Amino acid sequence: MKSNNSHSTEEDLKQETSPTNSPLTTLDSRFNQTLRSVQGLLKGRSFPGKVLITRRSDPPDGTVLGSPGVNRSPSEIDRSPSKHMDDPDEDKIHRNKPNTSTTVNKLKPSMSNPEDKSKEAPRFVMGARATDTARLMKFTKVLGGTTVILDKLRELAWSGVPPYLRPNVWRLLLGYAPPNSDRREGVLRRKRIEYFDCVAQYYDISDIERTDEEINMLRQIAVDCPRTVPDVTFFQQAEVQKSLERILYTWAIRHPASGYVQGINDLATPFLVVFLSEHLEGSVDNWSVADLDPEKISNVEADCYWCLSKLLDGMQDHYTFAQPGIQRLVFKLKELVRRIDEPVAKHMDEHGLEFLQFAFRWFNCLLIREIPFHLVTRLWDTYLAEGDALPDFLVYIFASFLLTWSDKLLKLDFQEMVMFLQHLPTNNWSHQELEMVLSRAFMWHTMFDSCPNHLAT
Amino acid sequence: MGAYRADDDYDYLFKVVLIGDSGVGKSNLLSRFTRNEFSLESKSTIGVEFATRSIRVDDKVVKAQIWDTAGQERYRAITSAYYRGAVGALLVYDVTRHVTFENVERWLKELRDHTDSNIVIMLVGNKADLRHLRAVQTDDATSFAEKEHTYFMETSALESLNVENAFTEVLTQIYHIVSRKALESGDDPAALPKGQTINVDDVSAVKKGGCCS
Repeated sequence: MKSNNSHSTEEDLKQETSPTNSPLTTLDSRFNQTLRSVQGLLKGRSFPGKVLITRRSDPPDGTVLGSPGVNRSPSEIDRSPSKHMDDPDEDKIHRNKPNTSTTVNKLKPSMSNPEDKSKEAPRFVMGARATDTARLMKFTKVLGGTTVILDKLRELAWSGVPPYLRPNVWRLLLGYAPPNSDRREGVLRRKRIEYFDCVAQYYDISDIERTDEEINMLRQIAVDCPRTVPDVTFFQQAEVQKSLERILYTWAIRHPASGYVQGINDLATPFLVVFLSEHLEGSVDNWSVADLDPEKISNVEADCYWCLSKLLDGMQDHYTFAQPGIQRLVFKLKELVRRIDEPVAKHMDEHGLEFLQFAFRWFNCLLIREIPFHLVTRLWDTYLAEGDALPDFLVYIFASFLLTWSDKLLKLDFQEMVMFLQHLPTNNWSHQELEMVLSRAFMWHTMFDSCPNHLAT
Repeated sequence: MGAYRADDDYDYLFKVVLIGDSGVGKSNLLSRFTRNEFSLESKSTIGVEFATRSIRVDDKVVKAQIWDTAGQERYRAITSAYYRGAVGALLVYDVTRHVTFENVERWLKELRDHTDSNIVIMLVGNKADLRHLRAVQTDDATSFAEKEHTYFMETSALESLNVENAFTEVLTQIYHIVSRKALESGDDPAALPKGQTINVDDVSAVKKGGCCS
């Protein structure tokens, strides 16, 4: 246990936990409730430097899911198309952080000028509709300029992007579409053509022209495409699988250091769904690609390819031999969990459970395998908003995800834990649970990243 | 790995690994054996997965702790770490894809490089229900198994054909090795500490032969 962490003093934490004197009380109420839930979770657990959050009597159990601050009426939850606009909580938490914690600025390098944002914050109070409009207006304003200020977009997108704006926002966040609107169309057209050329050069050739290694890779991809998100029927359509195959094979050929690695197929799926949503209406379950103009499909495919490439550029060593990037993050996750929740970490350790045994897949597939598919795009809003900081932030998200079940884990032995963690009960998750995971990740990032000794690299 | 708490009653705990090319049906063999489930919609295994089941051999309860591994070559650095301590292995190929049978040799080498020489290996030709698509003849696999001194069975996880037999055979053979070893050293096999993975180190002269279904 470290004892020289000057940043995360008890005072700092108290300041965070008792903002009731603040004039922004209403505004902060939801944030405070989140905080209380987190406190419940953290209750009695020790922090580096002996910093303890004020203890509350709330039972840790259930507070995560049952926090009044994040309760929403059923109609607002889930697949409602307006869900993201109805979800201001996260936004508030995020925006208000700078007010409640002095350390935030330097901790969130991907956010720009949080002070500026805090001035706008008081407009959120008027209930869901007003907030909708407010958030939508912000997005419209940011996206409408001749040059999109990416840092502003990141900050907005972190809390969720309205579905109909998502394709454009993602293309921008990933640096695929240029921020300058005058250049945008031209660049996208050129990149799409470049992708088609690649497909013609690498994919549309006969096996005679391929090396054995390439044939193996293509075979592996062909084995995996039919079992990509098999529980969503849309992905079973032949055209979709062909698109996926071309994307993956082309990517693999152009990234020989890693080549195709199982799980990358999963990572292409959020892009497919989001970019197809520009052309297809209603629920993914009812989509049919056969109704689509082939040119549109081709463009979607090209966008998926480039966005997948951009995403993976930020984690190249996650998929090279022995996957050192993932191993490093798994190690960091273990360290972080030990600092946040020592009893759970100790319990896992005593039972011989290794983080690699469950968290490897989390990092390899970025949690796609662990939550219902309809929540994945929302999760990815945050991923893409994190940008270059994503790999490190994943550690916080995954710690938060894991510790959703901290009480449960304490009751399980080795084999029960492995099996529980490989089949987590998230089937009935709604946005509410996911937002809680993200909020907590954000808080822990703020608390722990301020102490450089917390996570040795 | 640390000590396991005995959550249920068993006399022996054997660690078994499932290996073989991607898409040959390892995960479905496992789910068929441990939960009697089969899914046409299963996803690829990333890294390793795990399940257990206990069976009775003679008058003893044998618990199998089975590690199902990802088939892709890239994962071998990760998955081979799980071979350690394994006393049994099911090396699976797909009878409808000859290339998966061709790769068996490499898997065998992989296994022998990372495990004890006395590990009980069962070569498993899965998807035997797809009779019209068969690409690997039973005879070829039988002679290969004889040459390599492994056991051999054809299975269908879909039709639940021979799955039980394949796992049971492996576990029974391990059990015999262990009890013979215990007898040779004069110990009562039942006196072996509960809940410990049994190592088949220095068990000598264990004759293995082909055992075709």
